[in-house]
Amino acid sequence: MPPRLPVIAHWACPSTPATRVSIFSFRRCASSSATSPEIYDVVCVGGGPAGLSLLTGLRNSPITSGLKVALIDGQDLQKSRLPKDASLGSFSNRCSSLTPASVRNLQEIGAWKHANASRIQPYQEMQVWDGVSDARISFDWDTARPLLTPRKPSQPTTIAYMIENVNTTSALLGRLEELGGVATFSSTKVESIELGKDAEDLDLSSWPILTLSNGKTLAARLLVGADGANSPVRSFAGIESRGWDYGRHGVVASLKLEGPGRGGAEHKIAYQRFLPTGPIAMLPLPGNMSTLVWSTTPERAAKLKSLSPNDFIAMVNAGFRLSTADLEYLHSIPSGQAEEIAWRGKHTPINEAQIPTNVVEVQAGTVANFPLKMRHADTYTGERVALVGDAAHTIHPLAGQGLNQGQGDAAALVKTIEHAVTTGQDIGSLLALEQYNSDRYAENNAMLGVVDKLHRLYAVESGPIVGLRSLGLRAVDAMGPLKGFFMNRAAGGA
Amino acid sequence: MAPIRLANPAPVLGAFRASSRQAPRWNCMWRSYHSYDYNQPPPFPAAESAILSRAIEHVPGYGFTVDALKLGARDAGYLDASTNLLPRGVFDLVDYHLVMQRLALKDSVQFPDAEGGKKVGVGSKVRTLTLARLRANEPIIHRWQEALAIMAQPTYIPPSLAELARLADEIWFLAGDTSVDTSWYTKRATLSAIYSATEVFMTQDKSSNFKETEEFLDARLEDNMKLGKAVGGFAAWADFTAHSAVNVLRSKGMRI
Repeated sequence: MPPRLPVIAHWACPSTPATRVSIFSFRRCASSSATSPEIYDVVCVGGGPAGLSLLTGLRNSPITSGLKVALIDGQDLQKSRLPKDASLGSFSNRCSSLTPASVRNLQEIGAWKHANASRIQPYQEMQVWDGVSDARISFDWDTARPLLTPRKPSQPTTIAYMIENVNTTSALLGRLEELGGVATFSSTKVESIELGKDAEDLDLSSWPILTLSNGKTLAARLLVGADGANSPVRSFAGIESRGWDYGRHGVVASLKLEGPGRGGAEHKIAYQRFLPTGPIAMLPLPGNMSTLVWSTTPERAAKLKSLSPNDFIAMVNAGFRLSTADLEYLHSIPSGQAEEIAWRGKHTPINEAQIPTNVVEVQAGTVANFPLKMRHADTYTGERVALVGDAAHTIHPLAGQGLNQGQGDAAALVKTIEHAVTTGQDIGSLLALEQYNSDRYAENNAMLGVVDKLHRLYAVESGPIVGLRSLGLRAVDAMGPLKGFFMNRAAGGA
Repeated sequence: MAPIRLANPAPVLGAFRASSRQAPRWNCMWRSYHSYDYNQPPPFPAAESAILSRAIEHVPGYGFTVDALKLGARDAGYLDASTNLLPRGVFDLVDYHLVMQRLALKDSVQFPDAEGGKKVGVGSKVRTLTLARLRANEPIIHRWQEALAIMAQPTYIPPSLAELARLADEIWFLAGDTSVDTSWYTKRATLSAIYSATEVFMTQDKSSNFKETEEFLDARLEDNMKLGKAVGGFAAWADFTAHSAVNVLRSKGMRI
């Protein structure tokens, strides 16, 4: 196998078209070189975690490192890097939970060691409960094993890693810089994407030609859309994206708690309570910090944002403690939530061991909200087009799977391109890309479906469904192996 | 036997019906299309119209009874026996009220093209029209339960339902609904249900100016909107699920 590699690399080598172009432009008059596009093997639009992970994977693999790749992002990529002197007292409000599978992938492509480790918080336990009936399930690897079997030393203890999105992107950018070889067009917008022309020297009629805001034109053997939910690449490819808006907003904030948490600094716990308006989740960050994701109606989200820091903190504490009726009332009063909650808290029986410790501070300027929706593209691949991350699918954040799906997409697409290169296929052809769609579509579709059903199931406020879902939750909680199965699925099939 | 025969306009019996007032009305009225260019023919022949229009004036005093019909005939200058022109008896009186009030809707309710630069939505037009139709029952509301009882007789249920359907259709038409999908049916079905429920409620309403009836109607319309949203949401979900099933199979290499 190794002796064949140089030949193969030469075959798929981007220099072939590139040299051809340069030869032709050299032969012809100078005016044609000004209009003829620069040819790349892979052009990735969008420098988010999914796009960067894909490029890092391609550059990292010895098989695909010969490809000529370009990255285009409308924003300044340096701005999406973590400052070197970032203090541990303040965290970005955009955090994600990376599953062990995603972390393994980041380790394989060499990006994980570039992440700022002190700003990553693994957590070992998860408490999830029903806001109406208080039925509860706790996830930790220790209770998820079959009865009477001893704990395997190899068994992981970490459920997932909380990491700021900006930390993920700076780790990937750091690794990309180390690897080099990516033509980066930062703060550059894609003005248009259209199919090329069949010139007599070069037939680009099936190639997407991108015109950039800096006047450059690029031809892409494979155009990767990592450009988010309103993906221009997807609309260029004519791929329909279906789904619906949930009519809910996610409210995020960085919070400071009383202490490091009930399990101490070594055993961090994530909490999620399903309220009829949507789940409220408190996820641990290093030290006493935590990040909040509260899905709620747009009116309530606007209300929460408008509250004074003191009232906001009280509302977050109440979100984990008080009944849904209390919460409804608290959203309806203009101000003074803090006193109201202090009084109500005295008259509500609360098991303090099962809920997050009190929030004492909200980091200024981190309260923000965004609309929640679900979208799934009809397919991830087209002729010379592949979609990854949010361009392909948008998911409700209640299971924290969005970023992980994007990482999974990137890893699968790298594998598909590797295979195409080793077998000497055109990496942009639909035939070569077929495997990527086949690997990811059904899996992502299942995850989208499960999360959507959970959202719908817990949006019910009363009636027999509440009883049934509580029974189901308790039953799963009692059955270790079944719980282990669900945890494995959520951890990315680890 | 006679009323049954006449209440069920089966084609076989067409010859027998030729002499009754039903036949010409049926023939003129029945068109498979609607035209703005031609006036609709009067719904009742002259003689019956004369009797019924006078009889309806006696309903507040005598109710939907044969007495009211006879008094109407006398007022119109006919003999008591001429009420035999109306083979369905008092039901014809009820039917006359229903038809005339339905046809009156298009003249009694007018929508300005734009109200203060703001267009009136179809939903609020439907509400206004339904309310106007209910208000038309006001003079005889204390007798309306009798009419409901007559309409509930097995023989008269089909024509009563048909008239209800025509009313719902008229309201949606006047409200400017132009849907040509399956919602054409669901809209008419739900409005029929809402209208008949509200009508029954109105017979019991003792509040001033039928305020409670109005509230009842609003509550039902709101229920309907919620239901409509749920149905719409389900349709979107079903559409998504069908597409994603096909997409998953396609992603696995199936040629569909």
